[in-house]
Amino acid sequence: MAKVTREVVERAGVDVDQLLELLIKNAAAELTTYYYYTILRVNLIGLEGEGIKEIAEAARIEDRNHFEALVPRIYELGGSLPADMKAFHDISACPPASLPEDPTDVKALLKVLVEAERCAVRGYTQICNMTFGKDHRTYDLALAILHEEIQHESWFSEFLGEGPSGHFLRRGETSPFVRKFLE
Amino acid sequence: MRRFTLEDLARYDGKDGQPAYIAYGGRVYDVSESFLWQGGRHQVLHDAGTDLTAALDQAPHGEDLLERFPIVGLLIGSEEGP
Repeated sequence: MAKVTREVVERAGVDVDQLLELLIKNAAAELTTYYYYTILRVNLIGLEGEGIKEIAEAARIEDRNHFEALVPRIYELGGSLPADMKAFHDISACPPASLPEDPTDVKALLKVLVEAERCAVRGYTQICNMTFGKDHRTYDLALAILHEEIQHESWFSEFLGEGPSGHFLRRGETSPFVRKFLE
Repeated sequence: MRRFTLEDLARYDGKDGQPAYIAYGGRVYDVSESFLWQGGRHQVLHDAGTDLTAALDQAPHGEDLLERFPIVGLLIGSEEGP
């Protein structure tokens, strides 16, 4: 634990235990989403599915990056990941992004993807609201992740016919916002 | 439709096998089936068995998400309730 780091956040008025619980739950959401997106990506096939596979893959890799970026902050603040992977899955801040009953239904797959991203957008907005002006490092991290989650939501929502988002696919490396937190 | 006082509502806290009910805008919703309300807690900050009308103003989502859950009653004495 980084003792002074935690102290200054507490003195700023943040309930650090509450914040840690949220960070751990969101880390669980990222890692489990990485797993579930692997299955979704594999099933994005055929004329419709192939067009979505690339963005599903970018979102999958970036969600793993988000997990990697969150872990150091959890330990800096005195938290830790659960020793039991099953327990970690079950405390996720977002529901499992499970393969729909009919895996050939691309629209159903897209709905799973967009719901997962929307849950993440809400989660990081909450962390940003909680830490704004108080815990600069967690805020900076949560904001960087939020930028990417919003892009993910935009990509998938376009395919659901919700209108243009104004975003483009990744060109080059993944995680343009979160990269600075990756060690 | 069943009418709940705040004391009635408090019994449905999602713990020890109890269903998880929350109130919003005078309506009582059953959120027991939601992954996001496991153990009667939601995103660390909110507890089942309470009136979350004021809390929802601060939440990163609107009341539309509550439409996914069944309404099981009305909250007596709520400003927006019956």
